[in-house]
Amino acid sequence: MNEEIYAIALKNALGEIKNVCPGIKKAFILMDDGTIVAGDEQAVDPSVERAVNSLQSLAEKAVSVDGLNDLLIDGDKGKVYVSQVNGMYAVMSLSKSADLPFLRTVTGITLPTILKVLNNLSPETALPTPLKSAPIVPHIQFRPAPSVPSVKEEEVEETVEKPEETEEIEAPEPLEAREAETEAETEAEAEAEVAVESPEPAIDLPSRQFIVDKFGGFMVRADTVQLDSEILERWSSLLNVKEIREVDIETFIGKTTRCKAKVISDQKLEGRGLIRIPEKTCEALELKRGELVRVKPVMPEE
Amino acid sequence: MPKKKFPQVETAEQIEWAPKTEVKEQVADLRSVLDKVKTREGVIGYILRASTSAAVDIKDPSKIIDYAVLSASALESAESLSEAFELGRLSNIVVETKDLKILLLTIGEHRISVFMEKNVDHYSIYKELR
Repeated sequence: MNEEIYAIALKNALGEIKNVCPGIKKAFILMDDGTIVAGDEQAVDPSVERAVNSLQSLAEKAVSVDGLNDLLIDGDKGKVYVSQVNGMYAVMSLSKSADLPFLRTVTGITLPTILKVLNNLSPETALPTPLKSAPIVPHIQFRPAPSVPSVKEEEVEETVEKPEETEEIEAPEPLEAREAETEAETEAEAEAEVAVESPEPAIDLPSRQFIVDKFGGFMVRADTVQLDSEILERWSSLLNVKEIREVDIETFIGKTTRCKAKVISDQKLEGRGLIRIPEKTCEALELKRGELVRVKPVMPEE
Repeated sequence: MPKKKFPQVETAEQIEWAPKTEVKEQVADLRSVLDKVKTREGVIGYILRASTSAAVDIKDPSKIIDYAVLSASALESAESLSEAFELGRLSNIVVETKDLKILLLTIGEHRISVFMEKNVDHYSIYKELR
């Protein structure tokens, strides 16, 4: 399912919401990056674009307090209601007399339902579930790698697939030396083979999206990022290694880097789906606080 | 003729000095109302900004910067949206996050942000401040 179908479905949903709630003057849905995916043609003009930019900035800043859910602006001549739905933002300009509680109910039911149906119809291109209530990156950027991926992207894929390749290459060896191996090793290998033969290898790959949190200081090393201890432990057990020392970070504009991985030093920030990246590295990757990145563990070399 | 001129001069004098007193009184009033509001259950604190000064009273000091940045950004965003959708003069702005609600309003030159838990009735606070 492509972006166009999403846009049509969401546009129709907005149309229906407008029919039910006559107080809506203009309405559109925008992504975290400011891309408008559905809405009235007349709703988008330069002033709206400026507003969208500031709204995007607000959403980024709201990440520090678990993300923006709703925004209601009450003016003399009308209202604006912004609601976060599955990581997207429904923006509606309303008349002064609009029935807001009713609109909230309708929006809160209709849009998530439409998105859920769309996601079920096309799970491979589905919008990812947002991490907590954090803003999300548009689905276009979450699609499978393009047919002609950049060199850096290829590097990342190769790195991640290392465990599988290792298993495949070493597969004949155990036939000769199987007797010498312990039962535990055999089981581990069998599990790995199952993982390789799985029809959904992408799911088995231990990669995850994280919300970026910057940190800096005199003693901060630019090549070391911080992640939840739980995630690192899970990855190390999944890859059957003692510990994950390095990770590959991929931004949604295609930039990648490899960093050392450590556990988040501030316990308050644990369990929030954050990756803490040094400021210098953020600058190099053109990352802002609150953005999403894809992180994959690097198989340690023996 | 003199009757016409005299009131004009008097009005000019008033314009020069009157607002200063008014502003001071307004700030004192707002601070007292905000302090009262802060005692309500679920109210986390407030930020009162003027053109050259600001008063901050937030229960958790570690959150002050986050809250200040968020409220400034919300005001900026609201002004842009208001301009884009021709909402006229802004009455109030309500921002909701997962666990937090912020009521923002402008009184005179003062920008007020009241932070509260989501279950707090922000409208009653708005009425009290107005």
